[in-house]
Amino acid sequence: MTDIEEFSASEKKKSVVRNVLYTISFNLSLILRNIRNRKRSTIIIILGLIFSLSILFTSSIWTETSQKIIADDYIETLDYEMYISTFRMNAMSPVYTFALEDSVVDQVDWIYPSIALFNFEDKGPNYRWYPEEMQENMSNPVSLSFSFVVSSRSIDRIKKNLEIEGNASLNSGEIMMSYTQAKQLEVIYNETITPGYKLNLAVTRRIPNTDIGEHTMQYYDIGETTFANYTIAGIYKYVGYNSVIDRLIGGSTASGGGIALDSIFFPMEDMNEVDLFIMDANGILPRLLIKTNAQQLRVNGIENMPDNLLALKERIEIRFYHAYCYILDQEIQTMTDEYRRAFGSLALFVPTLVSAVFLTVLSTQMTVKRRREEIAFLRSRGAVSSQIIGMFFGEFLLISVFSLVISIGLGILLAALIPSFGHEGFFSTSLFYRYFQYLEISPYDIEIYSVIVLGIYLGMTLINVITYVRRDVQESLLVTRRGQQLLSMGIKIAAFALTIAGFIFLYLDYRSIAAISYTFGFNMISASTKTLFIFIVVLFFICYFVSMGINYLLRNADKIFGSIFKKSKFFISKNIKRYTKNFTELTFFMIIIICLLTGFLTIRSTALNNISLEENYRRGADIRIQTLVPVNVTDFEMTISNISGIKNVTGFYTARASIGLQEVEIFGVNPLEYLNIGRWTSFSFVDMDPQEALTSLSANESGVILSDYVADRLGFTVGREMYVTDFRGGPFHIKLNVSAIVSSAPGLGVAHGHDPKMNRGTSEWAIITRDLFIDRIGEQNGTLFLASVDQNANIEEIAEQIRSINPLIIVNPEQINPDYIGYFIVEYIPHVTITLLIGSIFLNIIGVIYIIMSTDFILEQRRRENAVLLALGGKQTKIQKFLINELIVFLFTTIIFGIPLGIITALFALLFTKPLLISREILPMILHVDPVALLIVLFTLIIAAIIGIIPIMRKQMKYEIVHELRAIV
Amino acid sequence: MNNPMAEIIISAENLIKTFSSRAEKLTVLRGTSFEVAKGDVICLLGTSGSGKTTTLNILAGLDKPTAGKILYNKQDIHSWSLNQLSDYRLKEIGFIFQEFYLLEHLTALENVMVPLVLREENEETAKEIALEFLQQVGLGGKVMNLPEELSSGEKQRVCVARAIANYPSILIADEPTGTLDAKTGDGIMDLLMNLTKKKQMTMIYTTHDPYLTRLATRLFVIQKGIIRENETTNIADIDYDNIIFEFKGGSDMV
Repeated sequence: MTDIEEFSASEKKKSVVRNVLYTISFNLSLILRNIRNRKRSTIIIILGLIFSLSILFTSSIWTETSQKIIADDYIETLDYEMYISTFRMNAMSPVYTFALEDSVVDQVDWIYPSIALFNFEDKGPNYRWYPEEMQENMSNPVSLSFSFVVSSRSIDRIKKNLEIEGNASLNSGEIMMSYTQAKQLEVIYNETITPGYKLNLAVTRRIPNTDIGEHTMQYYDIGETTFANYTIAGIYKYVGYNSVIDRLIGGSTASGGGIALDSIFFPMEDMNEVDLFIMDANGILPRLLIKTNAQQLRVNGIENMPDNLLALKERIEIRFYHAYCYILDQEIQTMTDEYRRAFGSLALFVPTLVSAVFLTVLSTQMTVKRRREEIAFLRSRGAVSSQIIGMFFGEFLLISVFSLVISIGLGILLAALIPSFGHEGFFSTSLFYRYFQYLEISPYDIEIYSVIVLGIYLGMTLINVITYVRRDVQESLLVTRRGQQLLSMGIKIAAFALTIAGFIFLYLDYRSIAAISYTFGFNMISASTKTLFIFIVVLFFICYFVSMGINYLLRNADKIFGSIFKKSKFFISKNIKRYTKNFTELTFFMIIIICLLTGFLTIRSTALNNISLEENYRRGADIRIQTLVPVNVTDFEMTISNISGIKNVTGFYTARASIGLQEVEIFGVNPLEYLNIGRWTSFSFVDMDPQEALTSLSANESGVILSDYVADRLGFTVGREMYVTDFRGGPFHIKLNVSAIVSSAPGLGVAHGHDPKMNRGTSEWAIITRDLFIDRIGEQNGTLFLASVDQNANIEEIAEQIRSINPLIIVNPEQINPDYIGYFIVEYIPHVTITLLIGSIFLNIIGVIYIIMSTDFILEQRRRENAVLLALGGKQTKIQKFLINELIVFLFTTIIFGIPLGIITALFALLFTKPLLISREILPMILHVDPVALLIVLFTLIIAAIIGIIPIMRKQMKYEIVHELRAIV
Repeated sequence: MNNPMAEIIISAENLIKTFSSRAEKLTVLRGTSFEVAKGDVICLLGTSGSGKTTTLNILAGLDKPTAGKILYNKQDIHSWSLNQLSDYRLKEIGFIFQEFYLLEHLTALENVMVPLVLREENEETAKEIALEFLQQVGLGGKVMNLPEELSSGEKQRVCVARAIANYPSILIADEPTGTLDAKTGDGIMDLLMNLTKKKQMTMIYTTHDPYLTRLATRLFVIQKGIIRENETTNIADIDYDNIIFEFKGGSDMV
């Protein structure tokens, strides 16, 4: 190669590089200039993209991050997640070591359930204490209570079950005492007992077996374990529910009452090891309380928590054959279900997101349409298609990257910001920071959402650009306009048919799951979410077809326009016809917005209505009274009925028994009183009205009202004879016959299955008559009472009077079960009704933006036409009137069709979205339309649209005719 | 020549029109005055950019003069309210635009109906009138065609029908043949002349084609922002040297 050749080759190389660089920089500057020149439309597109992307990112980041926070915080609210018991003496130490070494376990605490004695000092070993209420010296008796010997640190966890007056501490020399025990001691010591009171006590190392005559003090073996001058650090009321401690030492509402009601907690550190060993050897078998590590428990996601806990149980039980582990898997399962429901309900937000994406798409489309002239100009200057498309693609890239970066940042910020509002006051800074600390971004979600949104944006831009650039190509591909229309309609109908088929398939799947589910658990929620997703697509199709129908109607509604608009009809009808030709999207989009808005508000008011009806039903009557300690039913009924304003009162005798293998709670009631007082509905019984069911029970000496679940499962029908067995402390069995089959009852809630909003631990109940209950079971106590009040009586005043009878009474609580997990979840994820409200507000905003944007677009297109009309002698006021009338026609028709469509949508959606709205259906959820909310929202939509349009119109009217005419090419 | 006995329908007094842009100030009309009598057919001759269209716009009330007055029946139209001005455009003026300015979404018939409907004519009546005028301009067979389906000549005819549909006192035509070929242009001009005569309208039209001046009863020439009346409209008598020279080489814009 000669020097010259070499030189020219290198120059060529250089010039290629220079050319490429030049082309890039030239194109970049061109693109930047384009963006700069079209600030307004670029900003609209960027805002639309950021809006859509950031909401999607927020939902993903929020889901990923908050499930960790929720899991950790929920575990923190639990006392323990497991207890381990054994039937072997002195066998717990290796279990303790093994459990402590498990990676899921954080803390293991001992608990020895023993007996504490008070006022025992002057009693000798032969003092006869049994039975306690008839012991040897009733004028100066020994007082007994349960004593739980626990480590001092464990009280921090146990106290979650207690309402404490004084300190929740268990240092050396301190005990904590139950309210009931303190009251008993007040009688014995004749002194007021408050925190700080000092007394002597003994913790027994043995529990006498009264069956073999161990009735005297010596059998307690208290020699080494008497303690003088112990301070009562705190006096507690037991309020535990669905906790490990509750399960271990007694539920508050269980028949016979929880043993924790009459108890003390004693510091284990004050007992020596020998004493503990002796206790163990004497059959006071210790239990281990297990606190797990939330981070370890939620490995692989929140939904795996129950399973991870179960695995721990299995590890321990397989290693130690004598160990039995009780776990709170049902509670954790409920939490994960509620979490799923809360997040599943966010799926209702999806149509809003889709609308936001649509808004972006339509704004892109409008922008490109506006740029037709630019494309034409570029073409006329010799630009080839690829250059024009390339330019648009370059713009797309720049805008996309910019929007993406902003949206990810905004997504993170919003994910932390949204839940922080309303959490612990107005704004929780700590939760806000924790979201950053726990931050979890799923690259998969980010990728999918970006591809969807930006893909739609790119697709729409390119389709529009190509349509204008390559009109010839497009036309050659499709022979006739008619053919083109037919083909496009065919594709739409085919897609619609496929979606409908998919919807039917998923809906049937949902129905089949619903048929075998009594509560709305994980499977139902997931089936519901899936069906909802496809339903949204179906809905969009339906809206599209409806909007086509509307367009057809508008095209043929000359007579109607004539009678409404008289002489303005000509322009209005011509312009509307033009709309319908070119702006099918306009009606389509508004129909969607109004339909969704109506649907959201209707589903919301249906859910709210149902929640409030169910709350009333759960409460059961005007007044609901629940005692923390079982009380004699007849005595308490008497006390209550003496309060002025009380009309009727009925108590529920309570006992536990079994039907087959199912543990049930048996309530003894007066059926006619219950019928009279309770807020019954026609849905309470299966195939029977309450009047008939309860009258028949009343007339049937051995009748039982059985749950639908048991009846279904055992194939029982009304009149069938059956046995209820294994009454705790009562007869071995009672022969009954089924007098009615019940789904739910006022005050008791659902007859089968766990209703997390009720404060009942068991999951099944049956009702028998009070007479039969007293006669056969012999139990006199109950904890639940319902009362009705006289007309015009002040319920709150009466409730207050009842509360003042005894501090261990809960009357008409705001929430029957304040520990309902849903109340915990809403601290992090808004309740579905709030989601729907936020969705409605967003839709409203999107609707207004769209109306303003499209009006701006249409007016911009009409600028020149309006100039022609003005030049021909049209008046500005008249032209404005035409525009406003057109807008009214447009809004009016979309509202007229959108609202019924929205209500029908809600009706359909309720067929499969219930699992997203409520945890289980006690009363059938019946469509409830709230016309006021609907009117307010639509009114704001219309007003906002009109207010938004006026400045655009005014601005346009300022243009000079000649200037506008001159612009016409 | 101006007939001193004839009734003056519209006149201009000291018209000045200046366009301001960022770069420069452009005075198109520099204090010109003229009078138009009822029944006059006036041709305004001038080069491109000489201010012909501006003059017509000002006369039609589409544009405002920077200074000076337009008196219609002795009333200054630019002192009127916007609504009065709209009425003036609607009832007294028929404007034939060089670029047609037909509304693309309306058919030929509907385009002609526009001024009638704006006048709050009953739609049926408007339709009848429009049909009649379309027939007069020879478009009876294409009344339902959209503008995009019409040729330029046909569009111009629709524009003519639209301009005269309201029986205006003054018909203003801005280069009515500017975008048409010679044959079609002649046809349109003949049509305009016939209609003007038939409807007894005053007509003002612009052109830069000296040969079209023959149709006018008076010839105005616009030069250097001043409109002056030519002595004759006869092509043979026109001072070609002067005018053509100006057309070819000079610019009357300052």
